[in-house]
Amino acid sequence: MSIALADEIRIDSESDIVVARKLVRDTATSLGFGLTDVTRIVTAASELTRNIYIYAGSGIMRCRPVASDARRGVELVFEDKGPGIADISKAMTPGYTTSRGMGMGLPGSKRLMDEMDLKSAVGQGTTVVVRKWLHK
Amino acid sequence: MTAENISVISLRNLLLVTVPPDPDDETISALQQKILESMARHDARGLVLDISTVQTLDSFFARTVMETVQMVALMGGRTVLAGMRADVAVTATQLGLSIGATQTALDVDRAFDLLQGEIQGGRTA
Amino acid sequence: MKTSQKPSNRSGQNAAPGNEAASAYNRSLIEASLDAMVTIGPDGRITDVNGATESVTGRSRTELIGTDFSGYFTEPAKAAAGYQRVFRDGQVRDYPLEIRHSDGHVTSVLYNASVYKDAEGKVIGVFAAARDITERKEAEALLAKASAYTRSLIEASIDPLVTIGPDGKVTDINAATEIATGYPRSELIGTDFAGYFTDPAKARAGYQQVFRDGQVRDYPLEMRHPSGKVTSVLFNASVYKDAEGKVIGVFAAARDITERKESEARIKQQANEILELSTPVMQVWKGVVVAPLIGSLDSSRTQQFMERLLSRIVETNSPVALVDIMGVPTIDTQTAQHLIEAISAVKLLGSQVVLTGVRPAIAQTLVHLGVNLSDISTRSSLAAGLQVAFTKLELEVVKKSQPGRAETKP
Repeated sequence: MSIALADEIRIDSESDIVVARKLVRDTATSLGFGLTDVTRIVTAASELTRNIYIYAGSGIMRCRPVASDARRGVELVFEDKGPGIADISKAMTPGYTTSRGMGMGLPGSKRLMDEMDLKSAVGQGTTVVVRKWLHK
Repeated sequence: MTAENISVISLRNLLLVTVPPDPDDETISALQQKILESMARHDARGLVLDISTVQTLDSFFARTVMETVQMVALMGGRTVLAGMRADVAVTATQLGLSIGATQTALDVDRAFDLLQGEIQGGRTA
Repeated sequence: MKTSQKPSNRSGQNAAPGNEAASAYNRSLIEASLDAMVTIGPDGRITDVNGATESVTGRSRTELIGTDFSGYFTEPAKAAAGYQRVFRDGQVRDYPLEIRHSDGHVTSVLYNASVYKDAEGKVIGVFAAARDITERKEAEALLAKASAYTRSLIEASIDPLVTIGPDGKVTDINAATEIATGYPRSELIGTDFAGYFTDPAKARAGYQQVFRDGQVRDYPLEMRHPSGKVTSVLFNASVYKDAEGKVIGVFAAARDITERKESEARIKQQANEILELSTPVMQVWKGVVVAPLIGSLDSSRTQQFMERLLSRIVETNSPVALVDIMGVPTIDTQTAQHLIEAISAVKLLGSQVVLTGVRPAIAQTLVHLGVNLSDISTRSSLAAGLQVAFTKLELEVVKKSQPGRAETKP
């Protein structure tokens, strides 16, 4: 996978979610994603940055173009040092929520993207990596 | 963006509210507040929520909209969501969002037809 | 050099008195030599010659002795520099010169020469022996020509060719490699082979495999040009050996498959276009679109279908969409789920789907699978679905001959 400089955004407040959405929209559009895919990627970014804000209070989002074999795409990394997720499989169940959300954040984002890797340790934080490829 | 920038138009007994393209959470909450206040002030019977410029409908936004629809219903009004973009609808469905029994229309014009028909039909019935 | 027969003025002066018989024997050896031998005085004049020298110059002993040595060569200055060097350094080896025969033909020779001294150790002249190398030169020229021919074939190759040493460094390349990498020969040779690929680790693994297994076939790599252009290639490579059979490197030939890849991509795109054609979304009436689904529905096709259907509904501002599944041979839970998703998305837009063409077998399957379609209008035929659409749009179809009377049955 080629290395490209990632744009990084700190998520400290609700308004940072809008900033993150704008960055992801610009990056995905410039990479050549179609409108519906751009909307999917931006919506997933919105869900996952809001998770950081709601559950951890603060964290970062990184956004970068990626290439592997003949594929090109976008990768988003969401990192926080929050409470972590005790039961990942439960968190991936649609409708399950520990907050005021609709419980669609994680499973929904996974459906919107092509790949999702989730690492979490209770008390240490959570890292979610999602990718979407052009011309699947 | 603040609540002052949100456009709320009162037409006869209906409210037309245009949602901004990329609102932050604060604006979404302010929007709800302003809608409910306007419903009370104008004694409106229906609400047309024009979402034709909305680019991102995430679960938080959807939940606030659903809450607003329920609150408006409690105040005696019916809501129609008008003009959702095709890419937003595909994404919302894939994300797993549901708007329950909330009515939708292709555009504001059709939303007005729908609401007026129902309200008048309701009166004559 | 001692001469006893017809000594000339100079050689006669230099001749030391001695045993006549031994001297004659020595002289016979010199005369028998095939190499042209000559002695030169400090003034550069010839003091003695043997028979071979007479042959190679086409001049007799008497004509030669006493004349300037350098005068019998194509390059007199080089000849003079040669014997001067012998006087200075004591000797030279393999000094190349070309002797011109009186008839004009030229003989390439290599001179070995050394000074010779008198009894007191004083240098009195240069003894020089010339080896005719015309044949060797011809053989070399032939070899060079053959080698140049081989090289020209290598250079003419459209495929980038490269040789790699055991250390992974480029040892030789052809012109096509210069074009593919964008670097000149001088900058490529001696550098790391793996450095010219998008995936250096894979490139390294490739030539290591050749050293290990003796060869590889169709090893895919991507060459990177400084302009950023990437060329997809397949490598065929094998080891090459020296005369003793020891492996000295890898010879690798790359085949540019960019065009092949492009045509593959074109075929894929055409397949996509056919896919799109196979799921047309048509406007049949103002406010009504029809989407006939034909063939089996997989995940990616259903997704594409959903995006097209929704875009067309928005474009045509149609409150009703008829999705006809008459041409769908079988339906499973997954496909049914995709359809329900599409129908929900259409509802978000403010439009309504009427599912038509539900054949008995499909209806049975859906019920057995437990798929809940109770919220969705379904009809068995497209015509019945059109009637639903007209009703929703508050339209009625009227026969011209009987104005005012609606046709109740489609």
